[in-house]
Amino acid sequence: MTALNDTEKDGFLHDCATGRGQPLLILTVLILLFLSCRSVYAELTMVSWGGAYTRSQILAFVRPYQQQTGEQINVIDYSGGLIDLRKQVRSLNFKWDIIDLELSDALRACEEGLLEPIPPQALEAPADGSAVESDFIAGSLTPCAIGTVVWSTVIAFDPAALPQTPQRLEDFFDTERFPGHRGLRKTPKANLEWALLADGVPADRIYATLETEAGLQRAFTRLNSIKPQLIWWVDGIEAPYLLESKQVVMTSAYNGRIADANNNRNAGLEILWDRQIWNIDLFGIPRDNPNAEQALDFIRFATRSDRLAEQARHIPYGPVRKSALQLMDREARLHLPTASSNFDNALQIDARWWAEHFNRINQRFQKWLERPLQVPKNLPR
Amino acid sequence: MTNRHQPAGKPAASPAWYPCCLALCVFANSAFADAETEALREELQLLKKRMEQLEARLAAAENRDIEIKEAVNETAAADSSGIQAFDIGGALRFNYSWEDFDDSAQSKRGDIGLNIFRLNVDGQYENILLSAEYRFYTFMDTIHHGWIGYDFGDHGQVQAGITQVPFGLLPFASHSFWFGTTYYMGLEDDYDMGIKYINDFGPWNLQLAAFKNAELGNADDLERYSYDPVTTGAARNEETNTFNGRLAYTFGKDSECSNELGLSGQWGELFNRDTDDSGDHWATAAHLDSRCGRWNLQFELGRYEYNPRNPAGVSNDSITFGAFAFAHEVAAEGYFGVANIAYNVPVNWPRVDVITCYNDFSILHKDDSRFNDSLLNTTGCAIGIGPTFTYIDLIRGRNALFLGDGSLAGGGNDEWETRININLGYYW
Repeated sequence: MTALNDTEKDGFLHDCATGRGQPLLILTVLILLFLSCRSVYAELTMVSWGGAYTRSQILAFVRPYQQQTGEQINVIDYSGGLIDLRKQVRSLNFKWDIIDLELSDALRACEEGLLEPIPPQALEAPADGSAVESDFIAGSLTPCAIGTVVWSTVIAFDPAALPQTPQRLEDFFDTERFPGHRGLRKTPKANLEWALLADGVPADRIYATLETEAGLQRAFTRLNSIKPQLIWWVDGIEAPYLLESKQVVMTSAYNGRIADANNNRNAGLEILWDRQIWNIDLFGIPRDNPNAEQALDFIRFATRSDRLAEQARHIPYGPVRKSALQLMDREARLHLPTASSNFDNALQIDARWWAEHFNRINQRFQKWLERPLQVPKNLPR
Repeated sequence: MTNRHQPAGKPAASPAWYPCCLALCVFANSAFADAETEALREELQLLKKRMEQLEARLAAAENRDIEIKEAVNETAAADSSGIQAFDIGGALRFNYSWEDFDDSAQSKRGDIGLNIFRLNVDGQYENILLSAEYRFYTFMDTIHHGWIGYDFGDHGQVQAGITQVPFGLLPFASHSFWFGTTYYMGLEDDYDMGIKYINDFGPWNLQLAAFKNAELGNADDLERYSYDPVTTGAARNEETNTFNGRLAYTFGKDSECSNELGLSGQWGELFNRDTDDSGDHWATAAHLDSRCGRWNLQFELGRYEYNPRNPAGVSNDSITFGAFAFAHEVAAEGYFGVANIAYNVPVNWPRVDVITCYNDFSILHKDDSRFNDSLLNTTGCAIGIGPTFTYIDLIRGRNALFLGDGSLAGGGNDEWETRININLGYYW
């Protein structure tokens, strides 16, 4: 580049002075403003499970992250599954940047190439300097998703609606001693496991039994015994309301939703921890998402030990980081699914098994839902 | 940057606007520093505003459960008070039949033809209900039912119009396409013009009804769906001002094994067009409908009487009934019985939704000793695959209507006759 000669300088100054350079000036200012605004107002969309669970996330890390970075995080609800994620990844038309996934969905999504890889090195190390890998409980760090909480599917009941307090999972299937409608989540997950456990299958044989046709049929037969009294729920928030509105006397539920109903609405519900089925929730990023870098930054923040411990203060779900558990007080830890008094005969859902078999068994389950057990009263004439 | 048309090592000549732009930027940075500060201030304001919005969203999120609860309550209220929703449906059905008493049908190995095309409308606007069905047969078209109702929530429901008569096993005293003997006597799936009240009190179900007359209000018209006394025979009687009551109690309601026990009663006037005088008619029945697991047992036992005021010389022994453009005689007094068994077959075939197999038996024992009993037995299966529903029936009857020369009064040939019937329908 050559230096400006006097004539050129004079010409430029003349252009500016006479206003001929103003459009360029305004354009430059606008570009600078646009760039600065873009960096401040980049938006991320996180999809999660709604209700008290989403609230705990907003309080524990969504709002603090927004305060710290100025980035906007939109939080929307969904009911799980990979259908929407597949559509978005295949069309490259992303509505979501961060997804809260069940472990089986996370594993399957990773196998299908629907999620960005997330190396453990991308996460914040614990304060004691130990390795990230050793800080997360087994199974909560996957190649494409990072665990956040341990939650549990439990039997919840309204003690006022029952003649006696249920003590065992088998009581859920006993409509004579515990009359009334039951609620279950509209999925084969956990329901089939419970059906077999209640039918006497040992916990360590559940998934081997479900792999056989006879075992699967055995589970459905057990569910048949209460089918006329079942009311199905989809969104976790529905489960406590089924109890509160007296539509059912017992229901499966996420333990955090029952605690929330009791804490915020004095619902007076109780949890039967017997045979609770525990699971892990994880964060993932849709593959090829243009906001992947920002999404990862958010996940790095959200999975910090102090943030996970903070989330557990708002909902009794156990943090997956040991260092986060140490930040919780003893009283709070007693209400977690992982508390020893609650965890005696808990069953961990086999997420890998479900990732492999869910589609096939869910089709069978949906057909089972449609098929009447009893002779239909109103055959078409 | 070098231009490939420029000798190497020699810098490309700068465009004339390069220095201008550079100077402009320098100038902009200095001369418009105030403007940038102002812009940053505006950004700060925007951020503050954004924070306020986020605070508001957080508050909204915290209140969300309450809102959802209210929504749930509202939905529940809507469920009880009614919502605006209308469904239009219908069916197209074809029928195959083979009869052992029809020589030509045997030679042809049966006949197949259009059974019906029908349209249904079911709707609800707030608490106001609507249900109607119109049927087109190859030989007639007629209304099946049509009523307007009001849902009082916990206080029951009222239906006015052409509505099903609450009598005996409901909604049908059979499982097959062919129905049972009671259907051809007007004591099963009968529809009349009037008003009906239905209510559930826990395990109790009460139905009360008053019917001005049969569904068409014209006893000369045989083009109707359900059987009623008609005025096309020698004895021109028609039912009028009929009252029905049905009370049922269900043991184990909504459980895997429920048993409904019920009592039904019917009384009405029987107007004779020739004498302009009214006799009466009545019927009563007790029923059990047991649904345990996949099994269904149905029993019904009852008695009926028609006491016409016929002109002198016209027999009181039978009453002329009619429907489907056809009239036949039914003994004026008798006992009737129903014994059905059905099993809902567990199926794991991906496309098959339901297979229900059954044996329906019904009998009419006539008081007149000259009349032989009428018996009907149907063995078959109903198969639902997606929107299609198929009945495959082996129908055996003695003195049964439409089976040889069978009669529900006297004069039948009193022999067992057989019909194989397959009815395939697409329902939407």
